[in-house]
Amino acid sequence: MKIWLTHHAQALRLVLSRFKKNKLSTLLICLSIGVTLALPSVAYIVLDNLNGLVSSVKSESKISVFLTEKHDKALVTSIEKTLKQNPAIQQVTYVSKEDALEQLAAIDANKSILDSLQGNPLPDAFFIEPKLLEANSIDALKNDLSKLEGVETVLVDGTWIKRLNSMLLLGKKILIILASLLGFALVAVIGNTIRMQILTQSAEIELSQLIGATKSFIRRPFLYVGGLYGFGGGVLALLITWLMILFLNQTIQTIANSYQSDFNLHFLSFDEFLVILIISIALGWLSAYFSLTSSAKKT
Amino acid sequence: MITFDNVTKRYPGSIDAISNVSFSIEQGELVYVTGHSGAGKSTLLKLMAAIERPTNGTVLINNQNVSKLKEATLPFIRRKFGLIFQDHKLLYDRNCFQNVALPLAINGITGQEAAKRIRAALDKVGLLGREKSMPITLSGGEQQRLAIARAVVSKPAILIADEPTGNLDKNYAADILTLFKAFQQVGVTVIIATHDALGRADVENQSPNEKMESQTISHENTQPESKVLHLNHGKLTSTNISEVIV
Repeated sequence: MKIWLTHHAQALRLVLSRFKKNKLSTLLICLSIGVTLALPSVAYIVLDNLNGLVSSVKSESKISVFLTEKHDKALVTSIEKTLKQNPAIQQVTYVSKEDALEQLAAIDANKSILDSLQGNPLPDAFFIEPKLLEANSIDALKNDLSKLEGVETVLVDGTWIKRLNSMLLLGKKILIILASLLGFALVAVIGNTIRMQILTQSAEIELSQLIGATKSFIRRPFLYVGGLYGFGGGVLALLITWLMILFLNQTIQTIANSYQSDFNLHFLSFDEFLVILIISIALGWLSAYFSLTSSAKKT
Repeated sequence: MITFDNVTKRYPGSIDAISNVSFSIEQGELVYVTGHSGAGKSTLLKLMAAIERPTNGTVLINNQNVSKLKEATLPFIRRKFGLIFQDHKLLYDRNCFQNVALPLAINGITGQEAAKRIRAALDKVGLLGREKSMPITLSGGEQQRLAIARAVVSKPAILIADEPTGNLDKNYAADILTLFKAFQQVGVTVIIATHDALGRADVENQSPNEKMESQTISHENTQPESKVLHLNHGKLTSTNISEVIV
């Protein structure tokens, strides 16, 4: 155990002293990892925030159920009962045609129009707030509702939310593709750098093998190099992301203010912060592992 | 210590580098492996140091059969040896001290303990004052001595040197030879491959018939426990009979 710790401390010290010797190239590699990771991170933050925005306007999305003109009170109560039992529905409000007319009349501009009408042309209606905002579940709900007896038409307002949701889904898919492609690029870049280092240290590696170094003794420093590149790159990625968000937020707040909203982009939570760092370290370590394995095959 | 029994080593696509070689080396012996270049001296040394495995036959090192050991345990066998290579294999990106530190690092020895042993090894070869020098600034003889310091720093029981004096002039060669003898005197088994630089030329001149090589060594500094393994085209022409010459 003690020897194991000594070996690791030894490898770490060796790697850190090599970094010190090649400050500029180490910084450049970390920076390229940082920039590469910052891109999907920012995209993730924007998507995540838009998602939050969509959920916050959830209450604005309503389904209007208009009843047929001829029906009795009993039907209304039975429909109301069915609606309240439907698990997909969050809230139901009943507005009778008299109430609706009154609401209309309350607005001055409508008075002249209402005066020219004979009787009350408005139907009785239910306004429904669905639980889920996904396009599929709303469509299903709409279908169910239009089949009910006494229901004339079902209108879904806020179709734009449906579209936005689909767009967000598309965005997420693009993000996943982008992130995985960039991940591959990172593995290639880090792997190549480490392969070059293995080549420049081939004399030392060969000698070490001859005088009794174990495989892990030789591999360990390179794995540390990969992991530390990943760590440095991850930290830089978070820093770059944070700066970008700060920069974007100035403009976003101006736009949001003009819509009377206090929307702005939130930075990553601690968990997400950790996930990005771990992914970055894992990518670095894996690249080192791959280049070591491919170099070992050649010798 | 080291026992070869009918050992053959064949590299892919070539004739046998070593064929049917049998001998054994005891603790504290000074062994010369001789023969012209291409005779298989280096291959023999590599087999001894568990760097190569035999194609046929058995190589026993401290009663462990090298061909039967797992790949992963070979490094630990190799640590029993101090190796001095024909081309030194010094690392030119670090100073003398750091060059000698490598075997200790492989053994997990660092810090004060390592520094003490590195300085002791450098002192033995007379390079104590040069620990901060880069190997490239050393003369040929000094580089060889640095390689010896690196080989002995982890106090191996067996020292193996491949043509240690090959590129040195006579005076330097004598120096190095004295150094090896000093190690032998404290109980280290020393195995030296050479073609002539250690006075072996005399022996070969005496008996031009390589098939039946004389086991005598006419070098005046030769230790009583000296032994010669003479190789000719991969075959041992001089068996391991120690000839005592004072």
